[in-house]
Amino acid sequence: MLEGLVSPESLSLSYADMSVPERLKWLQQHQQQEVLSLSSNDSPDLLQILQFHGSNNDELLQSTFSHFQMVGSGFGTNYNMGFGHSHEAMDGYISRTSSCQIHSPDTMGVMLKNSEENRAISLKNKRKSEVKTREEEKTEKKIKVEAETESNISNKEASSDTSKETSKGASQIQKLDYIHVRARRGEATDRHSLAERARREKISKKMKYLQDLVPGCNTVTGKAGVLDEIINYVQSLQRQVEFLSMKLAVINPELELGVEDLSVKQFQAYFTNFPVVIASKPSVMVDVPLFPLDQQGSLNLSVSNPNQTSIDAPSESWETQSQSLFASVLR
Amino acid sequence: MERQIINKKKRVFSVEPNKIPPSEVFTRKYTSLLVPALKKLNMNKNSSQVNQLTVKHEVDMALALSAQEFAWSRFLLQKLSSSNNPTTTTSSSSSGIRIQERSGKEGGHEDGEIEEKLRELQKLLPGGEEMNVEEMLGEIGNYIKCLELQTIALKSIVQDTT
Repeated sequence: MLEGLVSPESLSLSYADMSVPERLKWLQQHQQQEVLSLSSNDSPDLLQILQFHGSNNDELLQSTFSHFQMVGSGFGTNYNMGFGHSHEAMDGYISRTSSCQIHSPDTMGVMLKNSEENRAISLKNKRKSEVKTREEEKTEKKIKVEAETESNISNKEASSDTSKETSKGASQIQKLDYIHVRARRGEATDRHSLAERARREKISKKMKYLQDLVPGCNTVTGKAGVLDEIINYVQSLQRQVEFLSMKLAVINPELELGVEDLSVKQFQAYFTNFPVVIASKPSVMVDVPLFPLDQQGSLNLSVSNPNQTSIDAPSESWETQSQSLFASVLR
Repeated sequence: MERQIINKKKRVFSVEPNKIPPSEVFTRKYTSLLVPALKKLNMNKNSSQVNQLTVKHEVDMALALSAQEFAWSRFLLQKLSSSNNPTTTTSSSSSGIRIQERSGKEGGHEDGEIEEKLRELQKLLPGGEEMNVEEMLGEIGNYIKCLELQTIALKSIVQDTT
């Protein structure tokens, strides 16, 4: 056992095997390095430190990083604390690390027992393969209060896997540290951040879908702008409906409709003209004779519309989108 | 065999259920609901002019009934059935005010803005405030689609009578 060793080579020890004082020393050294490196904001510091760490012993590196997946949070917190309060972090970190180490064997068991085992495994796979997408994800999504430091760390990430792993753990923990400073155990954090990340992905997917749905959203970037557009669009649609129902109320006594005669083709023709109509004001909209509905069979598109050619493509996509929308919803 | 052929001919839409264009289904449902309702209104209120609110009520009711696979339609139905006086899905004036308020407070935290906007979107959707954000975003998508189709149907009805 390596527990008895008190030497400057403690760095080469596997993380879990170190006793608390060794770990303290190791952390001190690392923290100093981190504080320096992080404050300088230069090169991929994580990479440096980890390479330094790894250069000592590859075998130990492997085992260490297997622990990192569980205890990476600890390392991450180390980073986070390194930003500001090193002393407090040290003390807090020691207690955490001890608890982390205890929990690490449980983590695997818990994670395996959990029905979310697949997610855990996929998380590990994701960490190695999908880090880049996650980096993009981090820069894009900011619904939750994500500290700027997280993006800083993400920018500092080098292309190496190890740095990504730990930095991923770091950024995850950092985000959680922003919300809960204390509650950080390796496995629980991973699960929570896993769930949060899955949730954020879902939300961004839906946002993208809405962006395609609402006309004119493609140019706007950022969630706020898209949401703005969506809000305006929904409000304008509702106003239109109000206006039309008002009109309907006015002309209602003269209602003579052969609804059964409304063929599908006519509605489809409406669909193609729809985007243009939406863009214009309601009064103009109604006055434009889109096409006479009483004509069966023959479709008389008597619209003189300058934008007609340009809207064909989006209207087709709109149709297919509506189909896909309903199909996905009805599943 | 013959029966099958006859049955197939009688079908309006394609044989495979997947290929039924839901937008058409919705539009058909909507118009088939709304127009008889309006005619009924006409017949019941022979003398006086048709109240605009009742028309709006019928419009909203038709919307809710023809989109019953969506969550927001349930909320809309609740709203409509709970009040004798028909509630409007939106009042343009108040929403306009809301927009101004929102833009006036833009000095806030960026994430707070987004949350504000999400909340506002929730207010627009019937029942949106009782859903969580994910669900609401999904429902907004099909709500927009249904609103669009509703607008088309209403326009065609209005066109037909003028």
